[in-house]
Amino acid sequence: MYTYSDFDRAFINARNAQFRAQVERRIDGSLTEDEFRPLRLMNGLYLQLHAYMLRVAIPYGTLSSDQMRGLAFIAEKFDKGYGHFTTRQNIQYNWPKLKDVPDILDELAKVQLHAIQTSGNTIRNVTADHFAGASADELEDPRPYAELIRQWSTDHPEFQFLGRKFKIAVSGSPTDRAVTKAHDIGLRMVKNDAGDVGFEVIVGGGLGRTPMEGKVIREFLPKGDLLPYLESVVAVYNLLGRRDNKYKARIKITVHENGLDKYRELVEAEFPHRRAAFNGIDQELLDQIRPQFKSPYFTTAPKAEFEKAYAKDPVFRSFVDTNTATHRNDDYAIVTISIKKHGATPGDATAEQMRVMADLAEEFGHNELRISHEQNVVLPHVHKAHLPAIFARLQQADLATANVGLASDIIACPGMDYCALATARSIPVAQELAERFDALKLEHEVGELKIKISGCINACGHHHVGHIGILGLDRAGVENYQVTLGGDGSENFAIGERAGPGFSYAEIVPAIERVIKAYLEEREDDAETFIETYRRVGMAPFKAALYPDADKGRKHAA
Amino acid sequence: MRHNLETHPVAGRVDDLNARYKHHSAHDVLKRALTDDQVGRIAMVSSFGAESVVLLHMVSVINPDIPVLFIDTQMLFQETLDYQLEVSKHLGLTNVQVIRASDAALAADDPDGTLNQRDTDACCHLRKTVPLENALGGYDAWITGRKRFQGATRAALDFFENEGDIRIKVNPLAHWDPQDIQDYIVNNRLPRHPLVAQGYPSIGCAPCTSKVAPGEDPRAGRWRDTQKEECGIHFINGKVVRGPLPKEDPVEEALPMNTIVTDEGFASDDWSGEFVALEGLSEDNAVALDLPSDADPTVLQGKLDGIDMIRVDFPSFADGRGFTLARCLRLMGFHGRLRARGHVIADQYAMARRSGFDEVEITPEMAERQPWDQWKARSNWQSHDYQSRLRGSA
Repeated sequence: MYTYSDFDRAFINARNAQFRAQVERRIDGSLTEDEFRPLRLMNGLYLQLHAYMLRVAIPYGTLSSDQMRGLAFIAEKFDKGYGHFTTRQNIQYNWPKLKDVPDILDELAKVQLHAIQTSGNTIRNVTADHFAGASADELEDPRPYAELIRQWSTDHPEFQFLGRKFKIAVSGSPTDRAVTKAHDIGLRMVKNDAGDVGFEVIVGGGLGRTPMEGKVIREFLPKGDLLPYLESVVAVYNLLGRRDNKYKARIKITVHENGLDKYRELVEAEFPHRRAAFNGIDQELLDQIRPQFKSPYFTTAPKAEFEKAYAKDPVFRSFVDTNTATHRNDDYAIVTISIKKHGATPGDATAEQMRVMADLAEEFGHNELRISHEQNVVLPHVHKAHLPAIFARLQQADLATANVGLASDIIACPGMDYCALATARSIPVAQELAERFDALKLEHEVGELKIKISGCINACGHHHVGHIGILGLDRAGVENYQVTLGGDGSENFAIGERAGPGFSYAEIVPAIERVIKAYLEEREDDAETFIETYRRVGMAPFKAALYPDADKGRKHAA
Repeated sequence: MRHNLETHPVAGRVDDLNARYKHHSAHDVLKRALTDDQVGRIAMVSSFGAESVVLLHMVSVINPDIPVLFIDTQMLFQETLDYQLEVSKHLGLTNVQVIRASDAALAADDPDGTLNQRDTDACCHLRKTVPLENALGGYDAWITGRKRFQGATRAALDFFENEGDIRIKVNPLAHWDPQDIQDYIVNNRLPRHPLVAQGYPSIGCAPCTSKVAPGEDPRAGRWRDTQKEECGIHFINGKVVRGPLPKEDPVEEALPMNTIVTDEGFASDDWSGEFVALEGLSEDNAVALDLPSDADPTVLQGKLDGIDMIRVDFPSFADGRGFTLARCLRLMGFHGRLRARGHVIADQYAMARRSGFDEVEITPEMAERQPWDQWKARSNWQSHDYQSRLRGSA
């Protein structure tokens, strides 16, 4: 786990003092609201539908137990007792008061957290594989590089007023759990023919109203060139990106309109200048960061109790089968705690639940927690001997739902219940779907299925990369839900295809149920997942299930 | 036929017309207005907004050849532009004239289309009020769709208004209430603006129009979160309801007044030479250069040696291209004086210095609003700088 250097600490304190002064200057009129807005946004403070919203960064998704307790404390003292984990490894507080925000930032600083650059037209919180350092298949832990990027992008003088927001994700594994192809820059660690590990650099991906798959701009970037290369990509974007139209300002449009080759040419022309300005000190700093992410000291313990419970208790077995993943140490497991209880708001955790998870990490998990972009909490290093005890404690805290990766493990944006931009509700749809699957007792049979719901075309719920995506729109004052199928955010990246006319609020849950039943009929055997079946058979059978009356006229057409 | 309007002041005619038409319906007012000698040459002005179709329909029934002036601010929703074509075709209007600000005016006052983010009044003035004023020059009267229910500023609206003793404004729908509008649209099966169903009961330009929640005033979505209620094309008591166009500090006039900010404090400008524009750059005059924010720095490759000072423009504090321009110039080997000029705020001083600028040039207005102590607070730009830490210079 990274701990702040003296430099980091002094920086955060100075920055928090600046923001405190900015709030005061807004109040005395030195700053206009127009001028204050980007300053508060740079410090994570949004104005939402009902109140201010503070978005706190969880850099590359890694937290210690103490940090998690710090988040719980803020939820209790300054908010309504809960927080919302987002799809970008942040936590949001929906009810802070403006006057409290400088104090909240100071509380965060005490546990080495901040809200810097979690919004605004700047480089946002850098995200990473939530299984980093634990999964069996990774080339290297990507988090030291993510921390280096965090330091480089923090308060970067050139890039605080970009044309639009800018998101970077890093993965150290061939299995892409960081959705690198849907980011402004995606970094995937790869090995070249000489056996060296470096980065494949992907640019111009994104979802939103114009979904685009990121394109490989550099097949192999030596690790030492990371910062100057990133700086070249962003500098080119800063000068070349459009500023006349907010909806055409992201780098995906810049790359699309200018062409990847032209963009690459500009980056390569800039790169030597940028590289010359670095003198190797960044690599020395990286060498100081790296040991802080070293693997915990793995223990040995008898696994008999675990094996007995696994054989005897079907509820525990279901939890283990569904919510744990293979750890690189055979005696260990990666435990994912679902923050998606059937019928609850996806991603919301109470202060009490945060404390339970912090305690479990401290007692059984080498003090480490992760926040996944799928809005769940991960204990990355758990000895299997401790799984029965962890399961029992999670049950008591209402956190033992065994649905990770299943149909009810839904990503949903806040939707019209909280967000000023939304055109439809999304959380209630997620809740009703989850309750329906629970009632049908089908989801374990269905197996891996990613459903993602967005409440407007900005696509915060990532519906484009859902195996089943749902997009809520507004049609003449009536909510209308469009269904996309076949999206995939993994290394087999694909943007979902629209199935046809949308459905009303009342129709959408039965429509999704028909899609799932069609899958169960079409699949070759239990082992073939939904997305595999879709890739094999295509849209037609699902379309037939969605629109059974299609041949009788346009009954469902909205 | 026509009265000699020159000899009949607007005020007197307006009183007369209001008295004559006091008990008439909207349709009758409109019909007479289109032919009444006392009114004169008349045009209709329409935004093709949420309720415009009512009056457009009435006009099309009475005389589809009446000039209809449509102000395209070039900031409108695409839906509005599409709707304008659809409605004009549907109603058979033959004389729709699209009014726009001149390219020269846009280039001078809003070259990058961000004026609306800085000063909505100035933006309305540039894109709406001035073009309409010019277009109405040849008319004695114009028809608007304003109604009394639309807000306090419109509560006492009459059918005929005196607009600054210059021309008459006709408001046939002054006494209609929201239900009348809806009934008329339904009864005549008129096409609706597509954004109405999406929560926009009043539609202006895209950047300054937001949705309205149920129960809110229908015009609450216009210039939301500001005091602004009117765009400036409508006058109150003969007075324009808008702010003055802010000085965009044209270099020649404002230069002696501008303040130069350095680590040492505020000072007046010690540079008395001329600045040349990028396109006018030659080897003879290359001493001080003005660089716009959309410049490509690589065109200066090999030309930097003879230049003593480069001044990079910041048209808006939200436009951060200048920071990268400065860094690129430094990386290209420019060692001369580098100045950021324009809308830079105190909070950006450290960014400017770290990007390679030596100084910032601000207007007297900014120097007054953000005095030296606020800049001084960021003059410790060498502390807490991750960039110098990563490059070993801290």
